[in-house]
Amino acid sequence: MPKKAILCVDDEEIILNSLRDQLQTRLGDRYIYEFAESAGEAMEVIEDLASEGTDILIIVSDWLMPDMKGDEFLIRIHRKFPGIVKVMLTGHADESAIRRVQEQADLHRCIFKPWTEEELIGTIISGLKKNE
Amino acid sequence: MKLNIMVVDDIHANLRLLSDILGAGDYTVRPVPDGNLALTAARSVPPDLILLDIMMPGMDGYEVCRYLKADARTADIPVIFVSAKDETIDKVRAFSAGGVDYITKPFQAEEVLARVRTHLSIRKLQHHLEEKNRELADALDQLKAAQHQIIHQEKMAALGQLVAGIAHEINTPLGAIRASAENISHATESSFDQIPKIFQKLSQQHQDDFFLFLREAVRNNPPLSSRETRNLRRVLKEELESRGIASAELLAGILANMGFGGDISRFVSLLKEKENTFIMQTAYTLFMQKSNSDNIVKAVERASKTVFALKSYVHYDPSGKMIRAKLSEGIDVVLTLYHNQLKKGIEVIAEYEDVPDILCYPDELNQVWTNLIHNAVYAMNGSGKLKIGISQDNDFAAVAISDSGSGIIPEIQEHIFDPFFTTKPAGEGSGLGLDIVRKIIERHRGRITVESRTGETTFKVFLPKQIVAESQTI
Repeated sequence: MPKKAILCVDDEEIILNSLRDQLQTRLGDRYIYEFAESAGEAMEVIEDLASEGTDILIIVSDWLMPDMKGDEFLIRIHRKFPGIVKVMLTGHADESAIRRVQEQADLHRCIFKPWTEEELIGTIISGLKKNE
Repeated sequence: MKLNIMVVDDIHANLRLLSDILGAGDYTVRPVPDGNLALTAARSVPPDLILLDIMMPGMDGYEVCRYLKADARTADIPVIFVSAKDETIDKVRAFSAGGVDYITKPFQAEEVLARVRTHLSIRKLQHHLEEKNRELADALDQLKAAQHQIIHQEKMAALGQLVAGIAHEINTPLGAIRASAENISHATESSFDQIPKIFQKLSQQHQDDFFLFLREAVRNNPPLSSRETRNLRRVLKEELESRGIASAELLAGILANMGFGGDISRFVSLLKEKENTFIMQTAYTLFMQKSNSDNIVKAVERASKTVFALKSYVHYDPSGKMIRAKLSEGIDVVLTLYHNQLKKGIEVIAEYEDVPDILCYPDELNQVWTNLIHNAVYAMNGSGKLKIGISQDNDFAAVAISDSGSGIIPEIQEHIFDPFFTTKPAGEGSGLGLDIVRKIIERHRGRITVESRTGETTFKVFLPKQIVAESQTI
């Protein structure tokens, strides 16, 4: 059975640190969790996982990041991998950016920082169901 | 309405003569026979002009005039002396008592009317001028109030642009703090179940190894980037596999998440235990309590830094005195607040030479740096190089802010400091940013220059290192 991965993209180390343990604690070893600090790095991780035969089920991405913003990143991902569920997790995003991702990348949900565990895990579980 | 003239003379015939002359000149005449009565009458209903005899019993004309000039109600009424005394010394006394003119008896009716007309007309012009002056002073006050308000609005607008970015700056650490706190809470509960089992399942030797391993894991390992963590996981997986350890991939993942870069050979025996995944998961649960606490501390430091920067930005000293401050601190405050706008694609190169603290109004200088940095970001359309340099230039501390934007075309360079001049679309800029910047710098007895070509625009602010503090000398 191919392995399934969840990818989180955020340029803040403190966010990735806390997400790593939150996902591991709540969702356990059912999935592989991958982390990237920029959209560019996320692209590499996606290529790597694809070449290993690992499916990415869901991407949780920040909006405000250096090099490429979350909306542009998720829209690009959507063009190449329409099946991946897209979630935004952000401290601030302008509404037009959110609307763009909804329209052009089939955004599953946008969660605002500071998020609650239930919000995030609930969103991921509902996103994963959508994928089954 | 007829103009009102008071005639003061103790001789009845003189009073009547002057009243007739002035009455024919279309004035209302109030004849008064002595000085005291004249003062009382003038105070209750001030006339437009007074003709005043000098030689009178009791109070003479000079004294009456001095009293008139000493009282605010009557001080502005022009007084023309009328007297038979024709010595120069008398005229000098009359003028020094406050008279505006002097008519010698005997006089011609035309002369009296001509002089009265002249002084009434001067008086009218004077009134007019005073009124205009008052209006101008009012207008100036209103303009000053409006300017003050515009400067304040400009400051708040600059702050408003920052607020969106600041929301992100605060919400990010808050998110990390909440998630880490929840992680610690879960980890603590899991430990209650896991720890007793560890003691049951492990030999004394392996219990010692277990805690030795944990101690090594929590020892300040340098934080790894996500990429470094992936590489470490790969390396660890190969190493564990080569040592014939089961569930190598899962264990490598846990060890990599701990950032465990140490020597594994000491723990091979422990890692070969049948329930090695449970053992490592238990270790990780304990490790998490430490690492998530560390994460919270980092997040709090981040949030504090932002709050501190905000506080410094709006710092306002009501004493209005200049204080000694480090230029780089103000610039760093603004850079911290602009962190989000900058990190989207702007490389900041800060080169600060050691410059002595200078006497300044720090919140006003913050407004200068905010304006110049904001303009630079705008000019670069959000991506490029922002260079900030602090250096010494003879008696001045110089701050240079350069951007790699498209530059300011020569035709408009001389206008950029003009009030209301803006190249931004209507509604986006007040055109006051650089005008305010220049005013603030001038208040510091400094100056600002600009050099611009395609790909490099530099604003240079010179501030005197030794300023004669205007308010400190008080």
